Amino acid sequence: MGPLDQVSVGDSPRARAAMPLGSLDQVPIGDSTRVASLDGDDPTTCRLLELGLTPGVRVRVVRRAPLGDPLELELRGYRLSIRRTDARRVAVTAAPASPR
Amino acid sequence: MTPPPGSGETPGREAVPPGEDPNPQRGVSGPPSDVPTVALVGNPNVGKSSLFTALAGIPTRVGNYPGVTVERKVGRFTHGGRSLDLVDLPGVYGLVPRSPDEQVAVDALTGRLADMPAVACAVVVADATNLERNLYLASQVLGLGVPVVIALTQSDVAAAQGIAIDTFRLAERLGCPVIPVVAPARRGTEQLATQIVAAIGAPPPPAPRGLAEMEADAGTHHSPAAREAIARYAWIERQLDGVITRRTVPGTRFAERIDALLTHRVWGTLAFAATMLAMFSSIFWLAAPLMDLLEGAVGWVADLARHWLPDGPIESLVVDGVLAGVGSVVVFVPQIALLFAFVALLEGCGYMARAAFLMDRLLAGVGLSGRSFIPLRSSCACAIHGIMATRTIENPRDRLLTIMLAPLMSCSARLPVYLLFCGAFVPDRPVGLPWLRLPALVLVGLYGLGVAVAAALAWVLSRTVIGRSRQPFVMELPRWRWPRWDVVVGRVTEAAGSFLQNAGTLIVAVSVIIWALASSPHSDAAIDAEVAAERLELERRAGAAADPGPPAAELARLDTPAGAAAARRGAAQRQSFLGRAGRWIEPLVRPLGWDWRIGCAVLASFPAREVVLGTLGVIYNVGDEDPLAADGSLAARLRAATWDGTDRPVFTLPVALSIMVFFALCAQCASTLVVIGKETHSWIWPLVSFTSMTALAWVAAWITHALASRLVGG
Repeated sequence: MGPLDQVSVGDSPRARAAMPLGSLDQVPIGDSTRVASLDGDDPTTCRLLELGLTPGVRVRVVRRAPLGDPLELELRGYRLSIRRTDARRVAVTAAPASPR
Repeated sequence: MTPPPGSGETPGREAVPPGEDPNPQRGVSGPPSDVPTVALVGNPNVGKSSLFTALAGIPTRVGNYPGVTVERKVGRFTHGGRSLDLVDLPGVYGLVPRSPDEQVAVDALTGRLADMPAVACAVVVADATNLERNLYLASQVLGLGVPVVIALTQSDVAAAQGIAIDTFRLAERLGCPVIPVVAPARRGTEQLATQIVAAIGAPPPPAPRGLAEMEADAGTHHSPAAREAIARYAWIERQLDGVITRRTVPGTRFAERIDALLTHRVWGTLAFAATMLAMFSSIFWLAAPLMDLLEGAVGWVADLARHWLPDGPIESLVVDGVLAGVGSVVVFVPQIALLFAFVALLEGCGYMARAAFLMDRLLAGVGLSGRSFIPLRSSCACAIHGIMATRTIENPRDRLLTIMLAPLMSCSARLPVYLLFCGAFVPDRPVGLPWLRLPALVLVGLYGLGVAVAAALAWVLSRTVIGRSRQPFVMELPRWRWPRWDVVVGRVTEAAGSFLQNAGTLIVAVSVIIWALASSPHSDAAIDAEVAAERLELERRAGAAADPGPPAAELARLDTPAGAAAARRGAAQRQSFLGRAGRWIEPLVRPLGWDWRIGCAVLASFPAREVVLGTLGVIYNVGDEDPLAADGSLAARLRAATWDGTDRPVFTLPVALSIMVFFALCAQCASTLVVIGKETHSWIWPLVSFTSMTALAWVAAWITHALASRLVGG
């Protein structure tokens, strides 16, 4: 998994989705990103999928709690708090600058 | 991964006329009933409970689903001349069964719960401020082939946030009614009830179309679960296209700034500390006058009863049994009401979720989440409050674990016990710093012991009985909003009412049983004999001892009317079943350095810890003086107490420490055990709590006594 700034903007959406560039817990505070993949059928993955953290969705990392964990995310018009260990399994790409 | 069977095709159901059982052949249903069952299903924290109350009022039955600790609330309501049974299903995010609550929701909706009739109509409760995510569950329920009505809660809040929802268009697209409701104000609930009645027996809405194609479209490099989620959300986006319009409302940036401030590393932590401090100190200060008033009222009734009832067992039953029990219940009501008012206010404005966000890291280490902080902190005032406050924890496993830990927090009932023994037996000398004195250090240590043991117990329980959390910690952070006063009032009355109704009756019953055990059998002749024997023994010791002072003083006390009455009370208690049990368990308490009288006092303090002071007073024949009075009469009496037939003092520093450690960890609080039973709808958990805490307390007291004896000499 490379750092986030290696994103080449010219890729097609499909190709971008197929190329994970980092995990959600590494995204700097305040930045937006797009979920690349979230695979597996364990309860954690399934719950995150149900909550709308699906491949392709745009997510903004709003803040981190004062003690470093959990994270506050903004997606699908709502705010969600998840722990960094759970965010680690969400592979992301950089999102286009314009909001959805 | 499509939701459970029954999708769409249930032939012949359209033909069932209203009024007949609409589900004659679905699954293994319970006993046939002509009252159709309506189920409320929705994500956690969307307002299902307040919608339940708005529709059906107070539930007629609250219990657990068979075999699991998942709360089941059933109520009945009538609309348009039709009776309906309303069931509140556990809050779930989806219908793929992975946890007990998801399993229960799926089984109920598909008619596979043995003792529940098949659902005649499913009411999907969806939060209008977060419709996209809430429709995920709706999309799964729509595929079950059950009539569906969607209730949009929080529609007033959504409107205030600039979210406009075209409900007619949405209903048209989904093929089922969509009714905006404001449950606490009963707005929209009539219309909702009308639609529910109309939906029963009507053809179910069509299953979401095009999911399979969208799943195929999602690409094969994703797992089946991911493909299903992608497809469902794509379907939802299509349904909501043109249905939801958002406009920026003034105040959004202001709310954003408040959010940043209250979750800030420094200011957020300070604000949190200030809020907790204000909340918990006011629970004491604001409730104190009311509690005094209630105590006064119970005391006044007790005086009346003493005046009007003839002396004897009936008077004793009413005053020492029933009224004492009632008093111990009603005295909690002001604190419970205040705590729930605060909780409802904090939850209503959205701060509760932020507080959990702040504290999560601290509790994650022991397998809990930030949601447990306020219940555990409340338990430092009283475990009853804390256990009731766990109702705000949506995850049943976390809630159960928090309930099990709550009684280990040092509650205010332990404080008098600590104060008595620290004051009387811990030498008052500075430790290192001039202002840091040993009794204060011991006090802090006892509070710390509770927290440390709770953390250890959480570690053990989450690896054994309760199990690790299989679900990730997820929590929605709602937008800031004004709390609704009707919700606050509703929460307060519900909490106080259910405490009085459910716990109250049982607590009074337990108090009466303990009273009966402590006051019978009662034989005046046997008491006279024992008091006489005691006098002889004192005379013998006064004659034999080098310093006849203490035994002589005792003899003088026996001759005063108060002293004689106290001696008789003590003798009566020693001869009661409880006293005999105390003697019987003496081998058990010997290793802790206790004599049988301490054992008896501890047994008798089962209704509540602070009772031990009164019981010790009675057993060691103290008069009616306040045990904590300035002259320290109880402390002085305890210092003078000796082992039966010797001059060896009973209470030494190691014994005092072992008693305090025992009380820090034991489950000597009938009310707490009763409330645990009521909140978990099971008698197993109070039993687990009692046995594990008593065992822990015994072992810890034994270690304390052994260590302290070695260090300072017993």
